[in-house]
Order: sequence, then C-alpha cells, then structure tokens
Amino acid sequence: MLSPYGMDIIESCLTCKMRSERIFCDLPTSALQSFEGIKYATAYPKGAVLFVEGQAPRGIFVLCKGRVKLSICATDGKTLILKIAEPGEVLGLSATVSGKAYELTAETIDPCQVNFVKREDFLRFLKDHADACFKVAEQLSEKYNNACHEVRSLGLSHSAAEKLARLLLEWSSKNGEAAKQEPRLKLALTHEEIAQMIGTSRETVTRLFADLKKRQIVQAKGSTLVIRNKNALRVIASSN
Amino acid sequence: MESRIHDSCFECTLRPDRLFCDLPADALEAFDLIKCKTQHPRGTILFRQGHPAHAIQVVCEGRVRLSVSSDSGKRVVFRVAGPGEILGLSAVLAGGNHEVNAEAMDVCSLATVKRKDLLRFLRQHREACLQVVSLLSQDLHVAYDRVRSIGLARTRRARTASVH
Repeated sequence: MLSPYGMDIIESCLTCKMRSERIFCDLPTSALQSFEGIKYATAYPKGAVLFVEGQAPRGIFVLCKGRVKLSICATDGKTLILKIAEPGEVLGLSATVSGKAYELTAETIDPCQVNFVKREDFLRFLKDHADACFKVAEQLSEKYNNACHEVRSLGLSHSAAEKLARLLLEWSSKNGEAAKQEPRLKLALTHEEIAQMIGTSRETVTRLFADLKKRQIVQAKGSTLVIRNKNALRVIASSN
Repeated sequence: MESRIHDSCFECTLRPDRLFCDLPADALEAFDLIKCKTQHPRGTILFRQGHPAHAIQVVCEGRVRLSVSSDSGKRVVFRVAGPGEILGLSAVLAGGNHEVNAEAMDVCSLATVKRKDLLRFLRQHREACLQVVSLLSQDLHVAYDRVRSIGLARTRRARTASVH
C-alpha cells in the first residue's frame, strides 16, 4: 500500500524483506506470528513526535522506515540530541520494560513507518518468547554502550572542535566509507541539530565548519561532505 | 561482620532482595554450575574501558565504582554498583569492549560467568533473560540521567563537577 507520504507500508513482518538485516526483527516464525497479532503498523510524516520525555510509557515503537531524532531537553529549552535512530531500532524500550517515564523525546526527521506495540502486550510477548527477550537484551546493551559513549564525549572532551571532529569521524566510518582515503558522508542534519548533538551553539558549529574548510580538512559538495584529510581530523579529535 | 554470602546461590539468604538473583530453582542450579566465586581487595581494577569483555561479574558483596576516562586520565564517575548488580553486562551481550572502568570500593565478593556460558544460560532460562532485560533498562535510565546532568549543565563548572 502506498501511503500519503510516498512510502510503501510493510503490512506484515512475515513478508518483510529487510527483516534478516535487523537485530530485533530477525525472530523465529512463531515469535513473528505473535508479534503480528499485537503490533499496529502506522505511518508518520516528518516532524511527528512519537513520545516525549517524562511521559508515562505506552509501549514500544519499532522503526521500520525513516529516521527518528532522540533528544533530551532542559527546563530552559536547551536540547541535546543523543542519537539519530535508524530502521530496525526499537524506541521507548527501557521505559516500557521498567514502567518508568520515557527518558527521551522521539521525533521523526523523515516520513516514517513505525510498528507500535502496547506495553502490556509487549511484556507478555517477552515472557512468551525467549528469542525476542534475548534480542531486547542485545538492543538495550547497544543503547547503554551508546549512552556511555555520550557521557565520555560530553564530559571529557575539551572543546567543541574535538567533539565535532569525533562526530564526523564516526559518521564517516559508516556505509562502507571507513577504508577510503577521502570518505564521504551525507550531512542530513542542520548546523543547529549538529550543535545539539555535541552540546554547543549553532554559531560555533558554523564557525568550526568554516575553519575546517579553510584548512582543507573537509570539503562541502552540496549536502555531501568529503573528508580530505582524515589524519588532521583525527589529531583534532584526540587533542585532549 | 560475618558474611551472609555463600558459595552456592541456593544458600544465600539475601537472594530474594536482589533483582537478578531471585531466580527459579532450575535456573539457580544452572547458574551455580557456570559461576566462579572470587574475592577482591579494595582498590582492585576489575576491568578497564576499551578492554575486551569476556565475562560478567555479579556483585555479591561490596561496592564497585564505574567510571569513564579519557586518554589523559580525566575521569567521570558513572555510578556506583552495589550487591545484586551485574558488571560488564552490556559489553558482554554486545560482544564488544568494556565501555567503563570498574574499581572495587570495598572488599568485593563477585560471581564471574564467562560470556559463552552466560549466553547459553540466558537462552535456556527465560526468567533470567527477563531479569537481565530489567537490569539493563534500569542501567539505561541511570545512564540517560548522567547524560542529562553532564550534557545539559548550564556552565562548564557544573559540567565538570563530577570529573576527577
């Protein structure tokens, strides 16, 4: 079925071709059949809020298509983006399991397909299906490791330049670009959003990019960023 | 003080109060067979950030300081783990390196389980796997709190208040 957002909706997990590549989704047939009975396949436009920080947990959101921005917010409005979630990730997992409030805000940055499962149904599903429970443990481990990484980056980095260099190196190591001499990466976020990822201001990010371009460490080609001098970027990233 | 922790988890009187340890009899029996009990003096480094995670350690007695550090030796205390908590769980399940440093703050009694044995145990004992999921969820809440307090601190001084 083609949705209003120009996206093919995957109605059944049993026939989803991407299933085998995704950590949570690659479940045995019996578990998948049970999952089919409790999930609600929904499509969201760009900018939709799936849940907000502090809200009581309703359930989990399995991201099938599109990307979702996960952020935390201070009372003065300062925002910190923790991660851009990719398809296959389960959102709202720890809050749903523990019963505590959602600790992050999840907002779509593309049109997304999301499979929602109510909390009571999900907890029952985990009790009945050991394989699913194991996969949830794996996903939680990955999220925990990511949070540790975030604490290290925010708490121990000296400067915004160092944090930006680390972020660019991290992005450039994905999508088979890691081994390349001059890796390319698609800058899908605005300077404002990058600033929110590294805990600095938009102005600082713009200034840092201008400096990196001037020193020919990076080169912008439309929304694609080419890392011309990976070693120089590594030096900046490890300057503490 | 006399220790109330025993070599066998069956005899441990503190078991019902601890999230991971309160398992059904068959799971406890299997856990007893794969665990190895060890004692560590105060100040022992149990594992270091960046080192491969080969085993988990269930804290039976004592407290363990978990921290992250930079190459220059700066350190942020992540949290203090107490009895009933599992150390190295996320790194072992993810099959990667330890994300934190762990240092014994007291004389610690630990039950160590190798990665291979743990994975088999969790696949065979659903209750244990559910406990692990609960523990990881709690750990994650604490981790996000730390991210919030460090990342959204208004001043550099507040941000570095927990950096040693």
